[in-house]
Amino acid sequence: MNTLSVKELTKSFGANKVIDGISFDVPEGCIFGFIGANGAGKTTTMKMILGLLPSDSGEILVCGEKVSFGATKTNRHIGYLPDVPEFYGYMRPKEYLRLCGEIADLDSAENNRRVSELLDMVGLSEVNKKIGSFSRGMKQRLGMAQALLNEPKLLICDEPTSALDPAGRKEILDILKRIKGKTTVVFSTHILADVERICDRVAVLHKGKIVLEKAMDDLKIQHKSKSITLEYESEVDSDEILRVLGDNGLAPARVERADISIESLYLEVAK
Amino acid sequence: MKAFIAFTKKEFTESLRTYRLVILAAVFLMLGVMSPLIAKIFPELFSGVDMGGGLTIIMPEPTVMDSWIQFFSNVGQMGMLALIISFSGIMANELSRGTLINLLTKGMKRHTVILSKFLSASTLWTASYLLCLAVCYAYTEYYWPGGVLHNAFFAFLAPWLFGEFLIALLILGGVLFGSYTGSLLSCFGVIVSMLILNIFPAAQKYNPIVLAGDTLQLLNAQKELPDFIPAAILCAASVVLLLALSVVAFNKKRI
Amino acid sequence: MENLQEYLPFLIPLAVIQLGLMLSSLIHVLRHKTYRVGNRVLWVVLCLVVSVIGPVLYFAIGKGDE
Repeated sequence: MNTLSVKELTKSFGANKVIDGISFDVPEGCIFGFIGANGAGKTTTMKMILGLLPSDSGEILVCGEKVSFGATKTNRHIGYLPDVPEFYGYMRPKEYLRLCGEIADLDSAENNRRVSELLDMVGLSEVNKKIGSFSRGMKQRLGMAQALLNEPKLLICDEPTSALDPAGRKEILDILKRIKGKTTVVFSTHILADVERICDRVAVLHKGKIVLEKAMDDLKIQHKSKSITLEYESEVDSDEILRVLGDNGLAPARVERADISIESLYLEVAK
Repeated sequence: MKAFIAFTKKEFTESLRTYRLVILAAVFLMLGVMSPLIAKIFPELFSGVDMGGGLTIIMPEPTVMDSWIQFFSNVGQMGMLALIISFSGIMANELSRGTLINLLTKGMKRHTVILSKFLSASTLWTASYLLCLAVCYAYTEYYWPGGVLHNAFFAFLAPWLFGEFLIALLILGGVLFGSYTGSLLSCFGVIVSMLILNIFPAAQKYNPIVLAGDTLQLLNAQKELPDFIPAAILCAASVVLLLALSVVAFNKKRI
Repeated sequence: MENLQEYLPFLIPLAVIQLGLMLSSLIHVLRHKTYRVGNRVLWVVLCLVVSVIGPVLYFAIGKGDE
C-alpha cells in the first residue's frame, strides 16, 4: 500500500511550467528523499500534496484519498513541517503544542500525553521561554513536534535541515531516524549527505521533471561502489592497516589518507 | 467546534499578550473621560476673554448635549482610528508571517479562522465601547444631572455597528492583500469613498458612515429614527456580506 | 483658572492614562532592539509627540517579536 501516490502532476505559474507531469509513489514506512536544487519545484509539489496550492492537472492520493485544493480532509493523515516554521512568538512551546492538539481534535488527556512525549523527543521539555526568543534549530525541532502531534501516517518535511548548523542538522536527522518505520516520511533537501544517511528511497527533481526515482538499495547495487572509507576512534598508522590488508590479499589499488572532516571536528568541539 | 474554541482562546491570548486589549481599553477609557471634560472646560477657557475694542466673548453655559457632542465626535474619529490601527493586523499578520500554515494543515477549516477572528475582535470592541460609554455617562450625569436623551439606545448602538463594519472590512482587506498596509489602506479607501459619497444628500440616508457620529442628532431630537434605519440595515447587511466574501476569498487563497 | 479643583476628577484619570500609555510604550521601545517597522528614534519621537495614537501605532506595528 502506498501512503502517498502522485500521478501526472503539473503546475504552472504564468508561462513558467514549474512541475511538468511528475509521478511517484511512496510506500508505507519508507523515508523518501526528494532531491533537487533550490527552485526545482520541491516546495510547490509539497504544497499541492497539502492542498495549499491548486494543481493544474494530475492526481494526488494520500492514504488512498484524493487531495483537493482548499479542503483539508486528507490533512488529518499528514504532519507538515514547513521550511521555515512560523509560530506565535508570544506563546510558550507547551502552550503552542496544546493549541495544535486541540485543533487536531485530540481529547484533553491524550493531548497532554502527546505534548510531553513529543517535547521530550525533540529535547524541548526543559525549555519554558517564549517561542519568539527561540533559535532556528529550536524552532525547527518544535516544528517537528507539532508535525508529529496527531500521529500522522505521512510526515512531510520541506528542507528540514537546510538552514541549520551541523549540530541542529544532526538533531533533526536523529529524530527522523527514531520515527522510521512508524511514520512514512517525505523530505525534500538539496543536501545529499542527509539523503545518504537516512533515506530508503529517493527521487531527483530537475527542471520540473523527475529524472531519477529508485530505492536506495537498488541504487547502491546498480552503481556499485569500488571504494570504502574506514574511520577509527583514534589516530592510526596507515602502513599497519595496509600491511594487514595486503597479508590477506586485499591490497587496495589506491590509498588516500583522509583529512579530518570539518563536520566531525565541529561536532566534537561544539558539544 | 473544538477547533473554533481553541482558536478563539488563542485570539484572546494574543490580544492580551500583544497589549492590544489594554491599549484599546486605555484609549476608550480616555475618550470617555475626555468628552465631558472638553464640553465643560471649553466655554470657560474663552468666556470673558477680552478681544479688545470692548468686545468680550460670552459663551453659553455648557449643557448635557455638549458632552455627548464631544462623545460622538471623539469616538467617531480618534476611537475609530484606534480601532482600525489595532485590528488591521488580525488577519494580515497571520498571512504575511505564515503562522496559519501549521494550524490549517492540522485540519482546521478556513472559515473557522474568519469567524473566530471576527468574534474575538467584536468582543474586544464591544467591551471597549461599553467602557467608554459608561464612563462618559457617569461623568455627564454627575455634572449635568437629569439630562433627557431621545432614542438613546439606537443613537449609541450606531457607532458600535459601524465599528463592527470596520472590523469585517479589515478582515476582508487582510485576506485579500495579506499585509498590514494593504488591510489598513483598503479600509481607509472605503471610508474616504463613503465620505465623498456623503456629499450627495440622496446617498446620506443609506450611507453607513452616518452611523459613526451623526446619530447625535437623534439624542437632541433633531432627527428621527427613520432617518437612520436604512443606513443601519445596510451596514448590518454589509457586515454579513463582508464576512461571507472573506470566507470565499480565503478558501481560494494560496498560502 | 480659579476652579481647577472642579476639574480634578477628569484631569487625574486623563493624566494617568496619557502618561501611562506614553511611558509604557517609551519603556518598551527603549528596552527592545528590534522593531518590525521603523527604528528607535522614530518610535521614541512618535510615542512622545503624538499623544495616544503614537503608542497605539507602536504596539500595533512597531513592536517586534520578543
